[in-house]
Amino acid sequence: MGMNTTQDNPVVAAKRAGRNALDESAGKQLLAAHGVKVPQSRVAKGVADVDAVMNGLQTPVVVKVMSPDILHKSDAGGVKINLRSATEVKAAIEGMLNAPKIKGARIEGFLVEEMAPAGHELVIGGLRDPQFGPLVMVGLGGIFVEILKDVSFRLCPITRIDAEEMIAELKGAAILKGARGTKPASMDAIINVLLKVGGENGLLMQHAADISEADINPLIVSDTAAVAVDARFILG
Amino acid sequence: MNIIEEFTPLFAPKTVAVIGASTKGNALPNVFIRRIREFGFSGDIYPIHPAAAEIDGLTAYKTLADTPKPVDYAYIAVSGAQIPGMLAAAKGHVRFAQVISSGFGEVDEGKDLQAELVSAAQAGGMRLLGPNCLGIYTPRGRVTFAEIGPKETGHVGIVSQSGGLGTDIIRRGLARGLKFSGLVTVGNCADVTPSDLLEFYLADPQTRVIGMYIETAKDGRRLFDILRNAKAAKPVVILKGGRTQQGLAAAASHTGSLAGDDRVWVALARQTGCMLVDTLDQFVDTLLIFQSLTPRPQRPTQKVVLFGNGGGTSVLATDYYSRLGLDVTPFAQEAIDALADMKLPPGTSITNPVDCPVGTLQQDDGRVAEKILDIIYSQGKPEALVMHLNLSAFVGRTKPEVLDNLVAAAMRVQEKYPGQSHFILVLRSDGEPGLEARKREFRDKAVALGVPVYDEMANAGHPLAALATFERFKAART
Repeated sequence: MGMNTTQDNPVVAAKRAGRNALDESAGKQLLAAHGVKVPQSRVAKGVADVDAVMNGLQTPVVVKVMSPDILHKSDAGGVKINLRSATEVKAAIEGMLNAPKIKGARIEGFLVEEMAPAGHELVIGGLRDPQFGPLVMVGLGGIFVEILKDVSFRLCPITRIDAEEMIAELKGAAILKGARGTKPASMDAIINVLLKVGGENGLLMQHAADISEADINPLIVSDTAAVAVDARFILG
Repeated sequence: MNIIEEFTPLFAPKTVAVIGASTKGNALPNVFIRRIREFGFSGDIYPIHPAAAEIDGLTAYKTLADTPKPVDYAYIAVSGAQIPGMLAAAKGHVRFAQVISSGFGEVDEGKDLQAELVSAAQAGGMRLLGPNCLGIYTPRGRVTFAEIGPKETGHVGIVSQSGGLGTDIIRRGLARGLKFSGLVTVGNCADVTPSDLLEFYLADPQTRVIGMYIETAKDGRRLFDILRNAKAAKPVVILKGGRTQQGLAAAASHTGSLAGDDRVWVALARQTGCMLVDTLDQFVDTLLIFQSLTPRPQRPTQKVVLFGNGGGTSVLATDYYSRLGLDVTPFAQEAIDALADMKLPPGTSITNPVDCPVGTLQQDDGRVAEKILDIIYSQGKPEALVMHLNLSAFVGRTKPEVLDNLVAAAMRVQEKYPGQSHFILVLRSDGEPGLEARKREFRDKAVALGVPVYDEMANAGHPLAALATFERFKAART
């Protein structure tokens, strides 16, 4: 919320620029504006910016290429994790600039971002149904969502009870409580993100006219907090 | 104008116009005239005909604007292309027009004609039902399109996007003891949608249970909003056709690709407390339980006791009910001890399921059930009791009144422990004609007492689980 002016609204900015999706940085800006925690990040235009950008960020960091031509950054070699110094970040960027799938693309910069602490990987999604309007989804990350399709949907706006029931409905819900020696995920943190995305004044309701699909993947949830580590918003 | 005032001319019309009746008396609208007369319609019927002075003994009028009194409900079954002109000429003289004719939006070449029909209805100042439907069945208004159906006005309100299924619902309802506050077939829903009728039924004091057969919900968001705002004030049962065809053909995101099949409808049910069913039988079965039993959110149904004859049937039902989330668990020791003290004949199982062979149930001509059930109710504290009787095991072995006595005994215990337990009767038979006739007669008696009756344990399980879900929803949300 708090996005009444057009210049700080990434959805309006992306539409004005004729884009059909928000890039990662704009997506996180949108999430942050709605109160969803995202990792601290800065954009480096190139190697020359790295020292200034690293100033004030906690290591380790991850570097991700920013390009409207690259949909799947990892597959293209555009993501390098666990970098512990400016030197390592510079080397990573130089490596990307030479990667075959990145070389020819339009490059807008490199997102240098603090790495989220370890936790459970979840996916929170959004979708606009032609008849019913916005829906919100939650699932556990990795094979749970990709292979087992263990997800639950609700129509927006959802209430706190809806959010609780969405999580309880997952077949893998027990894992979030801490199975096989892992720490439990904070249920409050997950519910709060679901409400900020799919609740009464949530992101999907406010932008129902513009956002057709959304993926927050992964949302890393520790026993105290939930952080949106990557996000995609499709406009239209 | 509130929704009740708006829809009263449809559900209780004082004047009915009929377009398409022939002077020879053999067209579908002639049949409609005959049916509403037989059903006891006492208002004015106005056949509309370009040339005839009289149809079926009734004075005919040239257009909808020429009738002596304004028309509450017009039944229209003539070739589609003529209809827009007729509606536009009504000049505010008609409240509801139901277009039975097809050849509109359900086929590509009829889409323009449907748009024309909608603007004509607007120009004529009326609400439009259909096109491509069968009609209305409204016992309070003595109007019906169906050949047979319950004569009495009941409490179950139905809207159906399929006319044929609408007929099935009325006919099966008649056989099963459902009584309706109304049934409207809406076909292509060019103007009036299932959501409009849902709004009416929610407000209508005559309606206590709502059933909807939906194929497409063009105004899905409105349907969701109405159901959400209703806060499960009345049970709503939805039979959704085409649930597997949903989903986005070309999804760009992960979420989009996962949204296929019927997840929207499942979400709608979970969020609003409405109940989704998969088959026509489940639809009728679920409506029947809500017609007969009052939901009890203060103590949602979980603990179920099975009582009757048939050991294997009890075992199978125990498994089936637990898969539906219901508990059929053995009694605590004091209940078992109290039942053991009755010294019932060998072969009687008293732990829950309570399995009593006919030899046990016919003691004291069936009145033994009162003592058994008294102990079950006072000690076992069931939240629902399913009494099942395998009729073939009784016939020829017991006096005919044993069955009546068993049910009467159960009803007395029900009265002695008000609000303790839902009571459901399963009458099992095998298709043998004599036995089926006996069952039908016996079922009618039980239904008249307000007992929901099912053919098999599994058929009773789904509605019972739906009742439990509805009660839990209300307990958690309201």
